[in-house]
Amino acid sequence: MARVNLEGVTKRYGDVTAVDDMNLDIEHGEFITLVGPSGCGKSTTMETIAGLTKPTGGTVTIGDLDVTTLPPKDRGIAMVFQNIALFPHMDVYDNISFGLRLRNYSKEEIDRRVEDAADKVQLVGMLDRMPDEMSGGQRQRVAIARAIVREPDVFLMDEPLANLDAKLRVHMRTVLQRLHKEMDTTIIYVTHDQAEAMTMSDRIAVIDAGELQQIAPPLTCYNEPANLFVAGFIGSPSMNTLAGEVTDTGWVSQNGNIQIDFDPAELGLSPGDRPTMGVRPEDVYTSEKADTVTHPTQSLPATTDVLEPMGDEIFVYLLTDDIGAEKMALSEAEQENQLLMSVSPDSTIEEDQRVDVVLDRSKIHFFDAKSGEAIAHGIEDLAGVESASTAEAEGDD
Amino acid sequence: MATEQSQRTGGGPRTGGGTLSGVTRWMENLSETGFAYLLLTPALLLLGTIALWPLLSTFRLSLFADSLTGGLGNFAGIQNYVAVLTGQRNALLPAPFLPSSLTVDALFGSALTVTLIFTVVSVFFETIIGFGQALVLNQDFRGRRWVRVAIIIPWAVPIVIQGMLFYLLFQPGIGLFIGREGNPTILQTLGPFSATPLANTVDATLIIIVADIWKTTAFMALLILAGLQSIDRTLYDVARVAGASKWQTFKRITFPLVLPSVLVAMLFRTIQAMRIYGVIETVAGCTTVPSLSCLVISSFNNTLVGTSATIAFITAGIIALVVSVYIFKYAREEMG
Amino acid sequence: MAGEPESGRPDDTGELTRGPFERWVAKSIKNPERAYRAMFYVVTIFFLFTTLFPFYWLLALAVTPEDALYEVGLLPAGFDPTVFVDVFTKIPFHVYMFNSIVLAVTTTAIVLVLASLAGYVFGRLDFPGKSVLMLAILAISYFPPAAFFLPLWQLFNGNVITGLELYNTPGAMILPFSSLFMPLSIFILTTFFGQIPDGLEDAARVEGTTRLGALFRVIMPLSAPGVATAGVLTFIAVYNEFFFSYLMNNGEPSNWAPIVAGILQLQRAGQFQITYSVMAAGSIIAVLPVAILVVIAQEKIVSGLTAGALKE
Repeated sequence: MARVNLEGVTKRYGDVTAVDDMNLDIEHGEFITLVGPSGCGKSTTMETIAGLTKPTGGTVTIGDLDVTTLPPKDRGIAMVFQNIALFPHMDVYDNISFGLRLRNYSKEEIDRRVEDAADKVQLVGMLDRMPDEMSGGQRQRVAIARAIVREPDVFLMDEPLANLDAKLRVHMRTVLQRLHKEMDTTIIYVTHDQAEAMTMSDRIAVIDAGELQQIAPPLTCYNEPANLFVAGFIGSPSMNTLAGEVTDTGWVSQNGNIQIDFDPAELGLSPGDRPTMGVRPEDVYTSEKADTVTHPTQSLPATTDVLEPMGDEIFVYLLTDDIGAEKMALSEAEQENQLLMSVSPDSTIEEDQRVDVVLDRSKIHFFDAKSGEAIAHGIEDLAGVESASTAEAEGDD
Repeated sequence: MATEQSQRTGGGPRTGGGTLSGVTRWMENLSETGFAYLLLTPALLLLGTIALWPLLSTFRLSLFADSLTGGLGNFAGIQNYVAVLTGQRNALLPAPFLPSSLTVDALFGSALTVTLIFTVVSVFFETIIGFGQALVLNQDFRGRRWVRVAIIIPWAVPIVIQGMLFYLLFQPGIGLFIGREGNPTILQTLGPFSATPLANTVDATLIIIVADIWKTTAFMALLILAGLQSIDRTLYDVARVAGASKWQTFKRITFPLVLPSVLVAMLFRTIQAMRIYGVIETVAGCTTVPSLSCLVISSFNNTLVGTSATIAFITAGIIALVVSVYIFKYAREEMG
Repeated sequence: MAGEPESGRPDDTGELTRGPFERWVAKSIKNPERAYRAMFYVVTIFFLFTTLFPFYWLLALAVTPEDALYEVGLLPAGFDPTVFVDVFTKIPFHVYMFNSIVLAVTTTAIVLVLASLAGYVFGRLDFPGKSVLMLAILAISYFPPAAFFLPLWQLFNGNVITGLELYNTPGAMILPFSSLFMPLSIFILTTFFGQIPDGLEDAARVEGTTRLGALFRVIMPLSAPGVATAGVLTFIAVYNEFFFSYLMNNGEPSNWAPIVAGILQLQRAGQFQITYSVMAAGSIIAVLPVAILVVIAQEKIVSGLTAGALKE
């Protein structure tokens, strides 16, 4: 049984803190993904698990063994690297059997295991090829075979698909998932690609600036991001986040054009607080579609700006400010009040058109603007202060 | 290679025990800095005992007076340096350190000046010829490989054979350039050479310069060639499009871009030329051409240990001066 | 002429149109490539002549019979190849050759091991003092051998540590050779090792090697060209060395004296015992190992010399 446990792992390079007090508790058999922007410390975290980097502080446990000071070879791990890292001076057989040969397994055992691994990743008949005679996908499969042949307790995968082309990447995702199902080992996977993280993992650990932001199943990270960073990082395109202020009757955006009614006291907010409101593009609807939303907000006036037809959906950039149609570039404040909406491809919406939109109240998030911590996910259950809000809306008109 | 063995005998995964695996474990757990210094230890130990210690020890020896028994005399401070540099020691030395006058014979007969003359003249010609060879090798033509071999081969000739070759070439009656008595060659009637050039200080110096140019120009050529090949080829396309002639291209693109490589190559050659010893010993002997290194050895052989160390350290000092100019430049580039 | 737009190269054309090569020059003006090409061949042949002619002349001298020595010129005066045998019968030249090769091989082995470790450290690790140490190694290697000689001579003659007498043994030469030529190998290997992707070393360590194991199993095999380059250059340097080869033994072949002593013995025996032909023959024989090495490994020599220098 190989649980992997990081306790207070910290790695400093001089004045730079690459990993800061990282705590991870990974169950046996779990497929966990460390995700974050480049330079966030996810690779360093993995290197401390692999033993390629000694942490400045904290402990790493694999199974029941404190491996913090053990060299990589004694940790019962195998690793697949971003640059594939096949030994160019060895053929496929020698590459795959490298670790077994170092451990003095018998020739028969090595042959059996290598063939078994080659079979799993469909490399049969290629064992005497040299790495430079193979395609990128084949090489990556050799690297995976080299890892699985040792039947390690823990697999570490450091952006293994990053150097493959898009089509192959999608294919290899399924290969990896199938392997995980078959092999019943713990997989720790590092990527900056949130699509990989979402599709493959049991849980995602979102890391930024060396710190763990959230560790949760993919959908939890998506639906209930722990903070503004996770909200922005998970999901493509990103969640809309708008600055605003709490009023007696709810929340209003900086330019006053977006109003959401609720009783702030129920969220522990009081008038004058300045939380950030977040809503994903697919949770913004034109007011014609308001019927299909169970908990719509009131209509919000907007102007369409740029349309991005993606084929399966259209991204619509909405301006919530009143600006002249001829304006080429938006000011910073106007950009902050922009709202991205996703509509179905059969929509007849056009550029520079006045539209009314509604938000799905059950998918609205509030974050503390200073700490970024989530305050609420979904406000459909909060009682609106009906009369007051109507009054104020009318007052604005 | 303790680690290798421990792995070979170690059996399956995670087996331990025994001193070998203890050592392995200890090495694996060293910090990067500790590991770095551990691996450097053998190299630093060797350089420390066989290079650094002798260098410092030479300096120490230079502070003691000579002793007729070949041992060390009394502590003399910087007296050796004063005596050598002011010429007081010349009477004892096999050859003077500094020339007593500015005549040709005195200049070629004194260690410091003959070494400087040799260095400047040979490095100058090596640079020009080496540049020419580099330009040839930088072209694409059939047989380039063999031309390159031909140009490199003199560089690979052992110094003693280089010496023997020029000893024979300038041997009266045998050598091509020097005739037997009463039958002088053109070089002798028109040119500088006497009847027995190998025994004549000025002639022998010239021969040694030629020998050095013949052997080490290739080194210069290879460094300059590397500089030429690192020039971005697209610059030449730009120049061609702009309508530059070959000469203009050379003057405005090739030369300025290759100049740093040339200067580095000249520096290396200068440092090496200052140590000239072996060819002299083989071609003409240290009494005929008393270079600095020659003087170190011959005064040592005359039991002048302190003086010998002094001259060695002055030689080292002159080279250190040249090296430090380079290091200073290097350090500045590193920072910039 | 010079102003014509299609030639447009006043530097080349000048006043050359008059003279015996009128037609050739006229063509060259139209097509300056021809002039450059001709110049190129002349220069190339000149370089080939100056570098190779001495070897030819040495051969001509060697095969000239003893009684015709004073007639030797551009062509050999007669043909008598027996001198190539004389070299070995008059003096034990083969023993000198053997000593030289043993010294060179041993030094090369020592240098490669030490320089590989140091090259790994400088090429792949980060640690305080790295650039200072590299500069120090570089600086030390540029001091003249004469600056090391006196203390080493005393050391090897047992004047420093009583009982330790290396004079007239291989040690007295191999130690100075190693420290003298190691820096170049360190710089060559630093360059090569530094180019191996980090991932390969990490992969080897995860698969089960130690850090040192990764060096010997992955980094060094992958840097084989670099190791070969350093080896070839060290071998040639030792084989060619004069200073310590000459001064750290008494010239007796039984005392590990290398070809330096062999050639000098030929030269100093005097022309009545040893003719100039034998000297020439001995030189040719002794130069063969390095000449062959240059032909086989010229790419390595070129890259090694330049990589070392550029790194430095």
